[in-house]
Amino acid sequence: MTETLSPAVPSTAQSEAPLLEIRDAAVALKSGNRTMVSGVSLSVMPREVFGIVGESGSGKTLLTRTLLGLQDDAYVAAGSVRFDGRDIPSQGYAASARKLLGHSIGFVPQDPFSSLNPSMKIGKQITEAIHLAKGWPMGAEKTREAAIRLMGEVGIPEPALAFDQYPDQFSGGMRQRIVFAIALSQDPKLLVADEPTTALDAITQRRVIELILDRSRSHGLAVILISHNLELLRQSVGRIAVLYGGQLHTIVDAGDIGTRVVHPYAEALFACIPTREKELADIRSIPGEPVGAGFGLTGCAFSTRCAHAEPICRTAPLPLNERLAPRFSACILGRGA
Amino acid sequence: MSVFAKLWSYPKTNIERVALVLVLAIVLLAIIGPFIAPFDPLKIAFRSKLHAPSLEHWLGTDGSGRDVLSRLLHGAQLTLSATMLVLVVVVAIGCAIGIFSAFVGGAVDNMLMRLTDIWLGFPPLILALGFASALGASLSAAIWALIFSWWPNYARLSRMVTSDILSQKFIASADALGVPTHRKVFHYVIPNALDVLVVQVALDVSAVMLAISGLSFIGVGAQIPAPEWGAMIADGRSYVANGWWIVLAPGLAIFLTAVSFNVVGDMLRRELDPTSRRR
Amino acid sequence: MAETPLPMVELQGVSKSFARRLFIQNRSFALRGIDITIGRGEVVGILGESGSGKSTVANIVTCLTGYDGGTYRFKGRDIATFTRRERFAFKSDVQIVFQDPYGSLNPRATVRASVMESLLLHRRDLDKAGRMERADLLLEEVGIPASAGDRFPHEFSGGQRQRIAIARAIAVEPELLVCDEPLSSLDVSIQAQILELFVRMIRERALTIVFISHDVNVVRLICDRVYVMNQGAVVESGPARDVLSNPKNEYTARLLDAVY
Repeated sequence: MTETLSPAVPSTAQSEAPLLEIRDAAVALKSGNRTMVSGVSLSVMPREVFGIVGESGSGKTLLTRTLLGLQDDAYVAAGSVRFDGRDIPSQGYAASARKLLGHSIGFVPQDPFSSLNPSMKIGKQITEAIHLAKGWPMGAEKTREAAIRLMGEVGIPEPALAFDQYPDQFSGGMRQRIVFAIALSQDPKLLVADEPTTALDAITQRRVIELILDRSRSHGLAVILISHNLELLRQSVGRIAVLYGGQLHTIVDAGDIGTRVVHPYAEALFACIPTREKELADIRSIPGEPVGAGFGLTGCAFSTRCAHAEPICRTAPLPLNERLAPRFSACILGRGA
Repeated sequence: MSVFAKLWSYPKTNIERVALVLVLAIVLLAIIGPFIAPFDPLKIAFRSKLHAPSLEHWLGTDGSGRDVLSRLLHGAQLTLSATMLVLVVVVAIGCAIGIFSAFVGGAVDNMLMRLTDIWLGFPPLILALGFASALGASLSAAIWALIFSWWPNYARLSRMVTSDILSQKFIASADALGVPTHRKVFHYVIPNALDVLVVQVALDVSAVMLAISGLSFIGVGAQIPAPEWGAMIADGRSYVANGWWIVLAPGLAIFLTAVSFNVVGDMLRRELDPTSRRR
Repeated sequence: MAETPLPMVELQGVSKSFARRLFIQNRSFALRGIDITIGRGEVVGILGESGSGKSTVANIVTCLTGYDGGTYRFKGRDIATFTRRERFAFKSDVQIVFQDPYGSLNPRATVRASVMESLLLHRRDLDKAGRMERADLLLEEVGIPASAGDRFPHEFSGGQRQRIAIARAIAVEPELLVCDEPLSSLDVSIQAQILELFVRMIRERALTIVFISHDVNVVRLICDRVYVMNQGAVVESGPARDVLSNPKNEYTARLLDAVY
């Protein structure tokens, strides 16, 4: 196992236990018990920057929000989740997960415009988060100092002034930094960022992503970065979990994408993206429409569009072996393994 | 037939199913009522006055010996057709003004909408009373009064819906093609506004009907002996002690019609809502 | 190709202050005197972030919105001098494909009817059967089976709706097609499909294309020339590959650095 560890996992991690360990998790909707996401096994090491990629409808947001206890209309239907050496009990899962969200896990949602309270000064929103995480004994002046320091760290200019301003006085990028500061206020071990830059301009996007990566390096923060942009993840993270149609299809090293044979969907998805290096001839679309989560096939969700698909792909369940390996391919034909 | 199949797929609770059946039954009775009524609704027969419900007179007879069931069936047509007349005219006038206002925009739009606002300020019943006293009390006076006071609701609603539609991308795409205004109105705005209007009309059926019956009840609408439901209650008032059925029948008819149209209106609002239909 | 003496589109010092129009909420942004020239047969990219004014350019070029200063000459003629009839004829020369495929089709018209409407307005020589036949051909051309023509927009996916919007736009056989961020609200794998459709149309149809996008890589791949816009002004222009590999302007350089 040691020689297969991804480059982004620090070498000391070899002896460490994973920070987050998800085994065969499935997510179902409460109404109708429809399974939307199934067979998700992955582990994130301490200090690792981990990516999850998927098109819209792949179930990446539903999976993340349900695992964090934030999705009211869905529940964890199967599997186990272990964070920082402790199982999150399946009884009362959402409440336990939300408790973790208060102090060990930070969450940055997609929309910087709606995730802040518009009628509360941003300083108050950050100090409130600090209080929630650390309790009251800190004292008002100290909390204020901590908040201003944190705002400075996430790159908000003149934090002492910004402390008394309202969210609508800031641009999208700045608001996302404020959300980021709130997520960091509890000094979490893991930061989960769901499409944190989708609503932002290219230049701002790059800055926010780099801010997250810097924080990971300087504070040993593990990060799960969720995006539809495979190229962004390829350049930013160590390993990438690829979701499609509510199934986890592969976990690959970012460096292997575009250079080695990987899982057919990861390969096909990468072929769709115009990158800096590509020419027009390098871009190949995937025929057909994406299959949404909860599609109800028994076999591989991608088999309807896969260039390598054979009849067995539609019926045989995805192989589950070695699901906890740092990288794997759930392709039954053994491609990209 | 597929219209009915589609309609029948809307109700989600038993109350809604009952309401939908009632609405369809009431509409049917309003159409065929006068043909199946066993007696002449106006024929006075003092010898058989105040008969309790029996096999001959299912709902009994009133203080002048008229058959209550026959009056109720004729009244269904009278009340509902008056309601429909009010709504058709009100929708036509209101929508014409609202759509025009939204298309023209600017100062004209502002002026028209302020005018409707002022108009809306008059309480409709008071306005209707004034109207009835000017024109003389009759069903047509009540209808005129309601038309007069009800159109601003539809002007506002259609103005709002239209400007909402006009701000959408497919209108920009129509502009890029050079689609002329009349085509925009009939192919873009009206079809897309229809859902909202249908719902409002369904909800307003009960309101207008109650208003007509109410006006008749207080004596400024249909006049006794016309078999209008509100007038029937007014007429039966004095017999409540020894002829409870005279008031109960039209009262129950008004109640059931109003409630079932309301339930169906709410149901349509839910089912025709484009955001819920998208799935 | 660009040797034709008269350019298709010539914007000279066109400016626009914040529009105050009631019904068009295009998030339009002001323009500060821009010059843009588009030659016949060219594929010209207009690259910029949101708020740069690039969509305002799209709306001005298609005459969906007016402008305050400068001149817009279309095939050598100032559009301000167009008669009513010329204005209508202009609509069959210039067409637009919008970003949002969910909003750009009339939800209450079948997709065939949407395509046929283009023909009804601008191909008066065709009868109903002829329009229907043409519409089906156009749908097939963009990859929608003609048998699906009787369906309504909400029964299609975003990518399919974008194809239908393209069929409706090219139905009038425009000389100039303005594409306002046609890919950005689509899924990654669908973006590539629509990109391939554009590449095929550029090859097969004698189309002049204005491709408005924030995606540096797409513009580099399909455009001959590019205008880079920032805050309502053109900051750099030139052959797409030169500009996007050797930017001279500081903003362009920053943008290129940021792109993944």
